[in-house]
Amino acid sequence: MVSEKDSGYRKNFSLIVTFIVLISVLFVLSLFLAFNFSKKNIENDFVSAKANVLEESMKPYNDFFLNKLPEISYYNGYLDSARASNFADSLLLEYPFVRNVLFYDTQVKNIKIEDNGINYGDCSIGVKSIYQYGKSVPKDSIRLYSENEVINPVDMANFRALSLKFITFVERMDTTKVPSQEALFSNFTNIRSNKIDYFNIPSVEILKAYKRMVANKLETDPVYQQDMLSFELDPAKIRIRNTRPLLYQRVQVVPITYDPLDTSSDYITGEITLGGPFSDYKLYFISSRSFVKKEIFSYFLPIAALLLLFYGVLVLVAFLIYRNLNVNHKMFKLQYDFVTNLTHEFKTPVSVIKIAGNNIKSAASLSPQEQRLYGKILDEEADKLNGLMNKLLAFTQIENKSITLNRDEINITDFIESTLEAHQLKHPDFKLSYEVGGFSTFITDPVLLGSLFDNLLENAYKYSPANKQRVHITARLIKDKVVFRFKDHGIGIPSSEINNIFKKFYRIQNRYNQNGSVGLGLAFCKELVNFMHGEITVKSVVDRGTEFKIVLPYIS
Amino acid sequence: MGMTNGNPCCVFLRKDVMRFVKHIFLLVAVACLFACVQKDEVDIIPVNDFFKSQDRATYRISPDGRYISYLKLQDKKQNLFVEEIATGKSVQLTHLQEKNISFYAWVSSDELIYYKEKNGQRFQSDLFIINKAGKGERKLTSNESRIRVLQDELTEGKFLLVLSNQRDSTVSDVYRLNVRNGEMKMALKNPGNITRWMTDARGQLRMAVSSDGVNETLWYRENENQQLKALVTNSFKTTLLPIAFSESNPNLIYAISNVGRDKNALVELDCTTGKEKNVLFANDTLNVVDAQYSRQKGKIAFVVVENWKKEKHYLDNDAKERYQKLDQLLPKTESRIIDGDKRENVFVIRTFTDRNPGSYYLYIADKGTVKKLSDNNSAIKQEQMCEMKPISYVSRDGLNIHGYLTLPKHKKTKNLPVVVVPHNGPGQRNTWGYNAEVQFLANRGYAVLQVNYRGSTGYGMNFYAAGFKQWGVKIQDDVDDGVKWLIQKKIADPQKVAIYGTGFGGYIAINSAIKSPKMYRCAAANSGILNLFSYLKSIPPFMKSNLQMFYELVGNPNTDFDYMHQASPLFHADQVKIPVFINQSVKDPRINPSDAIQFVKELKKRNSQVTYIENDDSPFSMNREENRQKMYTALEQFLESNLKRK
Repeated sequence: MVSEKDSGYRKNFSLIVTFIVLISVLFVLSLFLAFNFSKKNIENDFVSAKANVLEESMKPYNDFFLNKLPEISYYNGYLDSARASNFADSLLLEYPFVRNVLFYDTQVKNIKIEDNGINYGDCSIGVKSIYQYGKSVPKDSIRLYSENEVINPVDMANFRALSLKFITFVERMDTTKVPSQEALFSNFTNIRSNKIDYFNIPSVEILKAYKRMVANKLETDPVYQQDMLSFELDPAKIRIRNTRPLLYQRVQVVPITYDPLDTSSDYITGEITLGGPFSDYKLYFISSRSFVKKEIFSYFLPIAALLLLFYGVLVLVAFLIYRNLNVNHKMFKLQYDFVTNLTHEFKTPVSVIKIAGNNIKSAASLSPQEQRLYGKILDEEADKLNGLMNKLLAFTQIENKSITLNRDEINITDFIESTLEAHQLKHPDFKLSYEVGGFSTFITDPVLLGSLFDNLLENAYKYSPANKQRVHITARLIKDKVVFRFKDHGIGIPSSEINNIFKKFYRIQNRYNQNGSVGLGLAFCKELVNFMHGEITVKSVVDRGTEFKIVLPYIS
Repeated sequence: MGMTNGNPCCVFLRKDVMRFVKHIFLLVAVACLFACVQKDEVDIIPVNDFFKSQDRATYRISPDGRYISYLKLQDKKQNLFVEEIATGKSVQLTHLQEKNISFYAWVSSDELIYYKEKNGQRFQSDLFIINKAGKGERKLTSNESRIRVLQDELTEGKFLLVLSNQRDSTVSDVYRLNVRNGEMKMALKNPGNITRWMTDARGQLRMAVSSDGVNETLWYRENENQQLKALVTNSFKTTLLPIAFSESNPNLIYAISNVGRDKNALVELDCTTGKEKNVLFANDTLNVVDAQYSRQKGKIAFVVVENWKKEKHYLDNDAKERYQKLDQLLPKTESRIIDGDKRENVFVIRTFTDRNPGSYYLYIADKGTVKKLSDNNSAIKQEQMCEMKPISYVSRDGLNIHGYLTLPKHKKTKNLPVVVVPHNGPGQRNTWGYNAEVQFLANRGYAVLQVNYRGSTGYGMNFYAAGFKQWGVKIQDDVDDGVKWLIQKKIADPQKVAIYGTGFGGYIAINSAIKSPKMYRCAAANSGILNLFSYLKSIPPFMKSNLQMFYELVGNPNTDFDYMHQASPLFHADQVKIPVFINQSVKDPRINPSDAIQFVKELKKRNSQVTYIENDDSPFSMNREENRQKMYTALEQFLESNLKRK
């Protein structure tokens, strides 16, 4: 830790912990809010979705009211009992809430009538006959009334009411204007509880004739046919379309006064009034709390999952940042060590040169032996420095790919021999041997290959005990690949370190490393091999020796 | 347009734009017009140009042949003028502000009578008499009844025979009107069923036609002292149309009749027996539609027969000579006599062709001169109009169907977009002549097919009767067969056929959208009948007999209920699969506007493409032009978007 602080490099583990804690708090908080939101939303839905259920359930009725009733007008009063029966049957079949249809075949004329209709001014609206149609109507009671013959008692009040309504409207009608469709429809329709009466709406010309007939008796004694249909409706037969089955456990049509006592706090209820002829009824919605809770959760869970995902991603990002910081820290340490080592490497020759220089400066006179000795020392140390710098430069070049790969044909035996000779010269105690098989020449960059050989041989010499400094090189052609093997009997590499040896600035801590190593050698070799489109691998046993294997493409 | 063509236009444009900034739009229009002419393309003529009518109209010649009178429209006000033919001096007789003159006539060589009517109030007419110099205007009658002049010639210098419904608004009685004091005396009471009265050359009321709606009876008397006696009764399917009393034989009349034959002929009818005495003109293929009786000569001058167009057949050599002279003076055009003087020397002639709305001419026979009075519609250039050609084809059940085809100009007669225009009905026909609607459509680049489907008049009794209760059935087939014929002839592009009609024509169009959606791309109706029940209901119930006739023509709601249900488009909105256009006036008394509104609602609910245009015009209102423009512009767009877009 101290060294980390010294290096100025901060790891700030606590910052990451703070971050994790904060987002965790935020996560929990948002879960809580999301749940509350879901709850509120579902509770609101319980209130607002009622209108939707009402609209869907009333669709068939609206269709009946707005499309089927006007169809009666299409027939312009020409309906008779048989046609009305056909028409009524189609309605009874299509709309289950229509229980019963009464058909009033009526006439509008200028002759006063007694009891089967109304007289208004000089105009009279009278019933010729009444028929009823419905699923439970027996065949013999279809005809309820015909002129002057009452077969079954029938209530004429609704007929009188609607007749009066429309004839009053006609009387007050402004003949210079065309009455609106809405005005006509509402004045030829009577909506009562569970009942709708509808008179066919005649054309404006006929309405004008009616108006004249109210005002005075026309000489032509016109007789106009009007049809009235009276529908008895059954609200219980309205098919409820629960658009939110997961929200409303039960929906039912109940009288408007319905208010049960036994609804405990375990239930949520709601109601909405049915319109038109069903205004005495309402839709009653009831759900148990646990039922609603299920719906709340089904709403909340996707939100929670989303939040969790978001939280997970944040944590992952935090972890990745932490890991990157760690790696960077290690890299930093390696570079720091490298600089330390490099300085050390440079320091030894520089201090030797300094001492030699001082000695020469301070000596009154130099003997020829002394002069040769100092000369030799200065020359050797300058070479060392130069070697170090060359290596550093070459490595940078390779790494930045700023050199080009030359292709020359080399004789492999000559090449190895000349390389070994140079090393033999440098280290007379170095025992070197080689064998070549399968090929004699191949095309490569001789300088890079030489550098590779130098490095590996230098390493083998350096990491071998004094009496075991020997290397055996084999070069073979195996399946279009040139394979070089460098086998030494050195100290070996522990298996735990084997993956690190090709890393830049990495050095195994041991006694052989005390002087003259910057940890670049093998990393440089690997870069070289990669540059030459080959591979380098290593096998090693501690205290037995190491074998490097280099595979290069064979080009001849 | 190439640059070389464009530059002069632009220079011309630039100068003037600087001078008349306000007129920029007009100039652009002019420039466009230039460009169009250069491209040898058809000019798009504004809608209203097709439909303009004359600003001078209703020419009449004074009985002595010295004066000509006419109605003239100035600033939307119509007034009566009299012009001396010899000098050309004209006098304005009336100065009306709000009212219109719906009828006028010379009653002597010095006096004219006329009705003033308020717009839209058809049953209120005031009758006036005025001196030809514009002096001494007097109101003769004024009541809330309808008056029609029966005999526009004064008898005993002061009596005029008029019809009035003042006793009972549903029937017209004959009155003798004293033009000096306005006194009206009933000359003959209508028992209620007389629909037509006829006087002889001396103004004696001697003949009447009564109708119970289905059957027509001819009534006759030798002189005014006798009672009218029923002579002969025919059903409405047959024609027996009295033309004139013979002056040489006391009990003989000339009549157009198809009693006992398919086509109308001109016959002499013996009024003592009610039998045909003589056939003056008859032909197995030609239908007589009119006959001209010359009072001066006391004989029939010619009969008019109509095949694909009307033609005269002369029965009198003098007449032949005279009219052939007229044909030489007015070549290459059809001509009709509008009015003439007593001596049959001075005439107002109306000319027309299929490509020309025509003009009015003054023709003086003894001098052999013609003088143009006015054009019927000066906005129309004959060379821009399209030719109307007669066609015929055989229907799927072997009936010969006649019609007309108008092809657009400057286009190859191949793969054209077609608009089929079935005529209104029941019992009408398309005739040859200038048709504004057809020319409008042809000008917009459509071939126009008009079909005289079965049930049309003018092709004989059998053809007429073949159309009874065939609405939506065989009548529909006839129209479809016409389209098939056009496709077979490679004139029509089978993918681009539209159908458009008015009244029953509109009915056929909308029915096509239901019955033959594959044949038509779109259908348009103007005041179309959508519901046969409503149509029958528009006939007042007290016209019981008339109703019977319509029951035969269209269907009886009591016995043909299912047919009428099937044939009425209103009940089948769910089957409409092609774009539909509907125009109607909510004040139109002949239809129930609610029907169309319901129909359109239903279509919209089913997401069918529907264009609906509504106006609250009565059929007699003054802003007709505006509404007509609106309707035809919309129709043009509707057809274009459906036929021209690929």
